[in-house]
Amino acid sequence: MTLALEGVRLLDFGQYLAGPFGPMILGDLGAEVIKIEPVTGDGMRLASKPFFGCQRGKRDIALNVKDPRGLAIALELVGTADVVHHNMTAGVATKLGIDYAACKQVKPDIVYCNTWAYGLEGPLARFGGLDPLYQASSGLEHESAAVHEGNTPLYYRFGMCDASNAMLSVVAVLGALYHRKRTGEGQEVWTSLFDGGAIFTSDAHLVGGTPAPRPHLDKDLMGMSATYRLYRTQDEEWICIAAVTDDEFVALCTALGVPEILDDVRFRTSPARREHRRQLESVLEPRFRTKTATFWTRTLDDAGVPNEVPVDTLGGEAPLFDADNVELGLVARYTHPVFGDMRQFGELIGFSETPGRIAGPPPLVGQDTRAVLRELGHEDPEIDALIADGVCYEPDDHYSERFVN
Amino acid sequence: MPGALDGVRILDLSWGIAGPLGVLLLAEQGADVIKVEPPGGDPFRAYDGYRVWNRSRRSLTVDLKSDTGGEVFERLLATADVVVESFRPDVMEQLGFGYDTVHAAHPRVVYLSCPAYPDGHRYAQRPGYDALVQASSGQMWEQPGWRPGPVFLHMPMPSMGAFFLISTGVLTALIAREATGRGQHVTTSLFAGAMLYTTQIWQHVEKATAQFHELMGKSYPPGIHQTMIFECADGWVHASIMSGLTPTKSQDAILGLADAPDPFAFMALPPDEREQFNARRREKFKEWKRDDIVAAFQEHNHAIEAIITPDEQFAHPQLIANQMVQTVVDPIVGETTQIGTPLHMFGTPTAIQGPQPTPGQHNEEIMKELGL
Repeated sequence: MTLALEGVRLLDFGQYLAGPFGPMILGDLGAEVIKIEPVTGDGMRLASKPFFGCQRGKRDIALNVKDPRGLAIALELVGTADVVHHNMTAGVATKLGIDYAACKQVKPDIVYCNTWAYGLEGPLARFGGLDPLYQASSGLEHESAAVHEGNTPLYYRFGMCDASNAMLSVVAVLGALYHRKRTGEGQEVWTSLFDGGAIFTSDAHLVGGTPAPRPHLDKDLMGMSATYRLYRTQDEEWICIAAVTDDEFVALCTALGVPEILDDVRFRTSPARREHRRQLESVLEPRFRTKTATFWTRTLDDAGVPNEVPVDTLGGEAPLFDADNVELGLVARYTHPVFGDMRQFGELIGFSETPGRIAGPPPLVGQDTRAVLRELGHEDPEIDALIADGVCYEPDDHYSERFVN
Repeated sequence: MPGALDGVRILDLSWGIAGPLGVLLLAEQGADVIKVEPPGGDPFRAYDGYRVWNRSRRSLTVDLKSDTGGEVFERLLATADVVVESFRPDVMEQLGFGYDTVHAAHPRVVYLSCPAYPDGHRYAQRPGYDALVQASSGQMWEQPGWRPGPVFLHMPMPSMGAFFLISTGVLTALIAREATGRGQHVTTSLFAGAMLYTTQIWQHVEKATAQFHELMGKSYPPGIHQTMIFECADGWVHASIMSGLTPTKSQDAILGLADAPDPFAFMALPPDEREQFNARRREKFKEWKRDDIVAAFQEHNHAIEAIITPDEQFAHPQLIANQMVQTVVDPIVGETTQIGTPLHMFGTPTAIQGPQPTPGQHNEEIMKELGL
């Protein structure tokens, strides 16, 4: 079977996270991704974990694009590519000679994608920035901590604005590739961390200039309503319930042994339950406190009340060893020449006819320098000279001291 | 100029967040989306925010359980390129429109399923509200809060991952169809959506260094970025050490702390020393108004954002510059301000295609198109 993106070659000039994560996902879908890495290494290599999270399956050529010979090689590669992707800040690609105009000149139908921090134009367009800034600008940090209850804002540790920018770029690049398949035309597209944050709070909107209602967390960060939240149980554990419909609410009250509150007008409809949230919680909280989490999940399951006991991931490793997750391909496993066996999330999208694949571990700096240069027609003496002159790099005896943290 | 998905017809049977929002990114690239919903409407319409996630499409109400409804849907399938559904595994089969049946009759149709859990997973038949997937995936335990134990994520993170997987899956299958001439079954889940955002923190590495575990580990109080959150006289800000620009004055000098270390030296300090400096910084920040310190930091090339409410976004000058503040006249509540389309494509421009439809708003129009 062919891969969905068979034959698509993507050059990834990005560093850190929001650039490289998108090409990694496109690689999983079958694109050939070549990371063009500075000879000094991607700045993110200083922190292995986030670096690994955004790099698996790529080939890697280490190239100093600031050197004219390096730039010439980069443009030769662009001539063989379908997509150029990066997250350089404003003006950098132009200064280096690899902006859209330069790439289009050597590859007229190139799809060119820049994942900015803020955007192409505007008051902050020249700024770079890290993920948490966009958790601030989108309102996530305000809501995550229930700041309206007097709490300090809280950032989410998932780095999902990085990932959101990257996924927006995946969607834009795929849209552009589809258009190119149908018309032969390439184009320039861009996305940003800033917009990537905004889409996470996209249900927020104004009606006639006034904010539309949205649910908020309580001070203890337990949940959004009396029937859509965490509760503490007798054994100091937790259970999350989602008794969203009227039927589920009836089943909940019956299972908890408080059927009498069903006659209470304050709790009869969903809007009424929202309005009397604290009163309802003060009935339910002590009931959950009488039995263990295990007891309640079995009881609520039997009663038809949606619920889960929150899973402790044990430092993020337990899900990667979960038998179902492994069996269903949700866990990727590969061996790295330096770091040994590695696991990370696997294929998150299944395709019945053109499956994806995980092409391999995160690359070493310049591990494919020689192979890629040979494919371009360069011969070994020239390649040796490029390496000796510091224009290119391939792993040598000093690799570990230079790049392994 | 036509959008990238001009001429592509999508039948959207999904409810909730992931399906409607995943389809939105395709609709605003020009796809012709028909929301196929039960008479009376998709039950999630009760939520105000749904009018954003549900925009840029037409609505056809049809009872798929009835014979006539089934016939209408069958006629519609013959005109479709894509079907998106988000029911539990087996629901579409019971309606007579499972993948195998649809694929046999309409081999070019790309059929995307996004249940809460993957088919075959032991959770597959469990209820799939977003919060429950936050719990079962481990996301609630991964997020530190202001108390021990799991924290409820205000952001519906599994759904907010899955919608990207939906857009990505559909587009990938459409590209593959150009080569194979055939549609296929594309599958993802809210659970997979939760995993998407674990990439920087969920990893197993056999020969990991100590630093590997420390750097992104869960901690109380929460990790390194949390120390960059400061209270001002009238609100909060998030400062950052990296702007990609060369500062013209240090953050501490702006604050009036002349003796502080440079930002990178600061980040390398032991936690208690960092905290000592930060205590002094916190006092200084409180002397500033939120918007004044943001302006002062940005003037000197420092990255900083005010910690605003989601509703305040619409006044953010950069959101406006990104053409992400848009007026949409909703058929029920009238003039609204919503975010725009976060895909900026010069060759195939994206755009909001219209407000959310009322249930069945386009019944007559679509039936006429189908010759019914």
